[in-house]
Amino acid sequence: MRIATFAAAVGVVLCLISPAAGERVRPNTHTVTIEGMRFQPETLTVAPGDSVVWVNKDLVPHTVTSEAGGFDSQIIQAEKSWRFTARKKGDFAYICTLHPTMKAILQVK
Amino acid sequence: MQSPTIIVAVVSMLLLPVAGSSAQGVNDAQIASIVVTANQVDIDAGKLAASRSTNGDVKGFARLMVTDHTGVNKSATDLAARLKVTPQDNPTSQSLKADGDKNLAHLKTLEGAAFDKAYIDHEVAYHQQVIDALDKTLIPSAANAELKALLMKVRPAFVAHLEHAKRLQASALNEG
Repeated sequence: MRIATFAAAVGVVLCLISPAAGERVRPNTHTVTIEGMRFQPETLTVAPGDSVVWVNKDLVPHTVTSEAGGFDSQIIQAEKSWRFTARKKGDFAYICTLHPTMKAILQVK
Repeated sequence: MQSPTIIVAVVSMLLLPVAGSSAQGVNDAQIASIVVTANQVDIDAGKLAASRSTNGDVKGFARLMVTDHTGVNKSATDLAARLKVTPQDNPTSQSLKADGDKNLAHLKTLEGAAFDKAYIDHEVAYHQQVIDALDKTLIPSAANAELKALLMKVRPAFVAHLEHAKRLQASALNEG
């Protein structure tokens, strides 16, 4: 009984001090620049839990809209930005609904 | 009915004074006026098309033209004010305005599919000519670095609009 209690306590302590055992690494924040009527980079790969900030450096409004659903920024005015935290794994093709020539992909894996 | 060829020819002639005078240089105040007028002309056409067209895609494009060109104009007028440049009327801006008024008058005589076709055909020709003017005259002539940078920043929007208008032009709505 004592041994079992001790082993459990050690297990708990190990979980607390070891991020790899208890929790994942700290989420990152990535930036996609919207400029020249393009998303840059056009393909971005992130981990679940990471955040992505789209910064609109164009003179005109844009949107960041997943074609299959999942995220939609609505209008991002010039010089404004929009943040999204990626939770679900997958490849998400997205567009600017205002400017159909603007396409990009967010990969979450 | 105006044909795209005629529109292109007319717009080309309108822009010739700029090209012709590029040896002496178009000054920044004149460029500012040309930019503001060119945007305003397309805003006016967009407002008409947004209210008159019955096609959802055409209405959406027209509303986009109003939004985007209003945004570009705000940036242009803000920059001109900051640089203390007063847009200076010139033959090109006057011709752009006259052509814009003529286009509006023509569009007002049309409705339905004929209206949509005339509007989109003119948008294709207009955006192509503005891109040509940016490349051949306005950007090379701009003396102020910030004005030149603004013109270069504006260009991709005109290219995207041109591609968008061409898609609409090629779509079924514009057949017949």
